Amino acid sequence: MAGKAGATPTTYSPSPSTLKTKSLIFKANDVDWVRPDGRGFHQCRPAFFRTGAVNAASGSAYAEFGNTKVIVSVFGPRESKKAMMYSDVGRLNCNVSYTTFATPVRGQGSDHKEFSSMLHKSLEGAIILESFPKTTVDVFALVLESGGSDLPVVISCASLALADAGIMMYDLVASVSVSCLGRNLVIDPILEEESCQDGSLMITSMPSRYEVTQLTVTGEWSTPKINEGVQLCLDACSKLAKIMRSCLKEAATALEE
Amino acid sequence: MVGLSLGEKHFIQGGIAQDLRSDGRKRLTYRPIYVETGVIPQANGSARVRLGATDVIASVKAELGKPHPLQPDKGKVAIYVDCSPTAAPIFEGRGGEELSMELSVALQRCLLGGKSGAGYFHTEKSAGISLSSLVVVEGKICWDLYIDGLVVSSDGNLLDALGAAIKAALSNTGIPRVNVAAGASGDEEPEVDVSDEEFLQFDTSGVPVIITLTKVGRHYIVDATTEEESQMSSAVSISVNRQGHICGLTKRGGAGVDPSIILDMISVAKHVSEQLLNQLDSEIAAAEARENES
Amino acid sequence: MEYVSPEGLRLDGRRPMEMRQIRGEIGAVAKADGSAVFEMGNTKVIAAVYGPREVQNRSQQMNDQALVRCEYSMANFSTGDRMRKPKGDRRSTEISLVIRQTMEACIMTHLMPRSQIDIFVQVLQADGGTRSACINAATLALADAGIPMRDLVTSCSSGYLNSTALLDLNYVEDSAGGPDVTVGFLPKLDKVTLLQMDAKLPLDIFENVMQLAIEGCKAVANYIRELLLENTKQLEYRRGV
Repeated sequence: MAGKAGATPTTYSPSPSTLKTKSLIFKANDVDWVRPDGRGFHQCRPAFFRTGAVNAASGSAYAEFGNTKVIVSVFGPRESKKAMMYSDVGRLNCNVSYTTFATPVRGQGSDHKEFSSMLHKSLEGAIILESFPKTTVDVFALVLESGGSDLPVVISCASLALADAGIMMYDLVASVSVSCLGRNLVIDPILEEESCQDGSLMITSMPSRYEVTQLTVTGEWSTPKINEGVQLCLDACSKLAKIMRSCLKEAATALEE
Repeated sequence: MVGLSLGEKHFIQGGIAQDLRSDGRKRLTYRPIYVETGVIPQANGSARVRLGATDVIASVKAELGKPHPLQPDKGKVAIYVDCSPTAAPIFEGRGGEELSMELSVALQRCLLGGKSGAGYFHTEKSAGISLSSLVVVEGKICWDLYIDGLVVSSDGNLLDALGAAIKAALSNTGIPRVNVAAGASGDEEPEVDVSDEEFLQFDTSGVPVIITLTKVGRHYIVDATTEEESQMSSAVSISVNRQGHICGLTKRGGAGVDPSIILDMISVAKHVSEQLLNQLDSEIAAAEARENES
Repeated sequence: MEYVSPEGLRLDGRRPMEMRQIRGEIGAVAKADGSAVFEMGNTKVIAAVYGPREVQNRSQQMNDQALVRCEYSMANFSTGDRMRKPKGDRRSTEISLVIRQTMEACIMTHLMPRSQIDIFVQVLQADGGTRSACINAATLALADAGIPMRDLVTSCSSGYLNSTALLDLNYVEDSAGGPDVTVGFLPKLDKVTLLQMDAKLPLDIFENVMQLAIEGCKAVANYIRELLLENTKQLEYRRGV
């Protein structure tokens, strides 16, 4: 780091958090340890949602899960580009980007192609694309601060923004991930936990229909462990969807008054 | 986009429902796999896998590099896939980039066990590729493995074919033995001597195979052709290793499915993986034998 | 550096006027209308032809002839050092253009107005002479696709190192910096369609070097003709004629 070399550093630069905590939270065979933020293993961070964060967009939402803060705006449906072929279903265009200050070390603030395509796949199964033929809906997500579980938060927030924009959907899409640390499954991991995870599982679901729109697993898992993880995520998804729904209702009642 | 008439669509769907697909296969039967190793002499290891009309090449190149500061005891592995326009005209120019990226990410997820690279049980071998074995001098020098996939001809099920090709290429790979000059200490860069005679072989028994289950109607099929893929409602790619553990999973778009169906797909994939692993291993062994002969 | 030993042998053991082993294979890509693999020593390329088909970009459509397009791409693992270049760099754009012009000259484009022919060449291994190998592969692929051509266009390169004219340069000889003459040739019509050279050569030597390349083209043409004949026999046999 820059500060180490000189005797009197002129600027303060925090060392990456992973270095500090790597040995602290993580011991291979520990069954009982405390998460850095004091949560239980199966306890999510408090979720905060608010719709209508961007005036210019047709719909938008802001979500805050602990340190993870994202903002999603939805534009459209607008006319598809001329070069595109005729399509009797609507098109969905997703883009996820990070701000330069999103990560502990100042980053490049670039587009995240992998997340963009994951967001697209998670949402396309939930949106009634037949309801807006020949047109395109743009979903732009911006991660203001990355605090772990970025993609699940982006997906949940995007579905809320779509609902705010009045895009027809079969159901709200809620997304939750679990990390596998040692012998424990840890739900809604923060950045420090993600950096030393052994495996992770992410589910995106439409809770009222009890359907999974996206599921990714990394690392080696046994079948019982997968079952446990899936169940854990699905439960959390349905609870998350309730919070999202109440947020939408709040916004609607506020509008009436 | 595949142009299919209504009749053809019904024919494919009906065939799958009756467990007799248009090419005579059953729902859970793979097309014959043909493996050829050592196709790219300039690479450390390479293989070409043909699954029906799908034809892919994977090559492994090893270069000396520096380990990541946060993981000084691990080498680095990167997987890139390229879709050649020879496979389909839509891959011309930048047209293949989106699919290339999707395949690269899916392969990384399925074979490397996520970015952490470590397996679930903390043993070194559990992840597909043992990253610890790639370290030459801890914190200083390690091997960087560049795995390149190239889609030459495409007739569906690219991910499984690429996974198989990478597995075959890895078992074909020889990493030169590196002798580190003694005495280098502290911050000095150690001097290394790369041997061009002695090669270390990879243990690829832990590398998983990828099985993509494509859901058409109420049933799912393995090894779908392009025509069958156009009729899918959703597809799930599952990578399974010898122990029957899941090493990675991605759902590839499409409509939502019931969680119980996904769990059922996982058990089907585990069942199919055994046959596929055995078949692939014997094909790789046969290909290696052919290569040594010639 | 010595490229030709006093005994008259080159670095890879060939004589100056000797070509590397050539090998062709028709039908490497099942989905394409025509395809072929062509190897010249360690250089290996795949060509696939799609078409004649409807023109994708209407503004490029021509009412009196077919539109011929070509894209040249190199696999990441094709060169000795692994490279990751973005697609469409200047070198590949230039080679695409060269191949397109060469092939366009021999395709009877006036027979297929308002249609488009795509030629895609993919280099699997590069060891000098990729241009020539690509043109040879494209010829085979076009013939496999059944596209009417005036003649089989074949290509070969030659160079001049250590005061000796050398046929079919490999990568080491190619990067020696000497003159490198690539010739595209129509053997039946006895005409040159492509001629490229970098560096300078006296006129009389150039004539010899070019003649050598033309001889190489003729040898390739003989091989390709045999290969196509064999392929046709196979097709005939399969139809039970």
